[in-house]
Amino acid sequence: MTTSVLICDDSNMARKQMKRALPENWPVEVTFAANGQEAIEIIRQGQMELMFLDLTMPVMDGYQTLEVIRKEDLPIMVIVVSGDIQPEARDRVKKLGAIDFVKKPVDKDKITAVLQEYGLIGGDQ
Amino acid sequence: MSDQLPPISLSEDERDCFQEITNVAMGQAADRLARLLDVYVVLPIPNVNIIEVNEFAMTLKALEDANSVSAVCQGFIGSGVAGEALLIFNDASFSDIAKLLDYEQAQNHHEELEMLMDVANVLIGACTQGIGNQLDIDFSQSHPTVLGQHCAISELINEQQARWHRTMAIEINYTIEDHNINCDLLLLFTEDSVRHLQTLISFLLEDD
Repeated sequence: MTTSVLICDDSNMARKQMKRALPENWPVEVTFAANGQEAIEIIRQGQMELMFLDLTMPVMDGYQTLEVIRKEDLPIMVIVVSGDIQPEARDRVKKLGAIDFVKKPVDKDKITAVLQEYGLIGGDQ
Repeated sequence: MSDQLPPISLSEDERDCFQEITNVAMGQAADRLARLLDVYVVLPIPNVNIIEVNEFAMTLKALEDANSVSAVCQGFIGSGVAGEALLIFNDASFSDIAKLLDYEQAQNHHEELEMLMDVANVLIGACTQGIGNQLDIDFSQSHPTVLGQHCAISELINEQQARWHRTMAIEINYTIEDHNINCDLLLLFTEDSVRHLQTLISFLLEDD
């Protein structure tokens, strides 16, 4: 079964890096968004299952995006991917409902481990 | 050598790439500062631009509404990449930094310099190191110098104007949440360094 994944980052390079960090054998359909506003509009359509979300973005940043998701109770799991490695940033996004926090630059093994931990992929990938 | 080559410029992909590399590096620097001061550092979107000397002077002049600023300058060099880091503080930030670092009593010139150096070492060191790590460059740093403690911005510009050419400037504006602390970190790269960096990042920009 194909998983619908949204990658939200203002950097084109970061979006591509994130896509490359996904496990190779995982059947996914990837959609890109360049800021939180774009992401919210896509999520509202109801097809997305998982989002990798950057924090520092123009228009609508990651924190604001998490707030909207919580306020509207939008059905999506969010993993924050950020260069902001202050412990405070991790605490804040978890409080806002993100299931996990992965620091940049993204690492394929780390992403795989997180996806396994939440049962999004099997243990053999 | 630069004389025969066309002036440096960045494609949109290259600018995006330098911005993202900076984003990761400044996060590491902010984490170090957050631990030093026990605060939360608000991270901005970094600006990456190719600028001329005149534009650089204007960048500095834009800070002029802060009546006086203090700046620490520190050179960095490694693997064919060289530049200068400039950390500019609004002097109004000093009393808040002093509180956070427990320098509260008897603020004097010497102690302010010491604080400025402490913060500059953390931010400049971590940031250049963070960029270096991502590009396999081992930067070494010169000793930091204080450019203009309590001097007017125009003096700062005049002091520097003779030294800058066309350059790639990375600008990061750090603010500290719940405190009146604001500083600008500028990383300036020489033209030859920019060309070398463009080669180094080309592998990151390859399409899959």
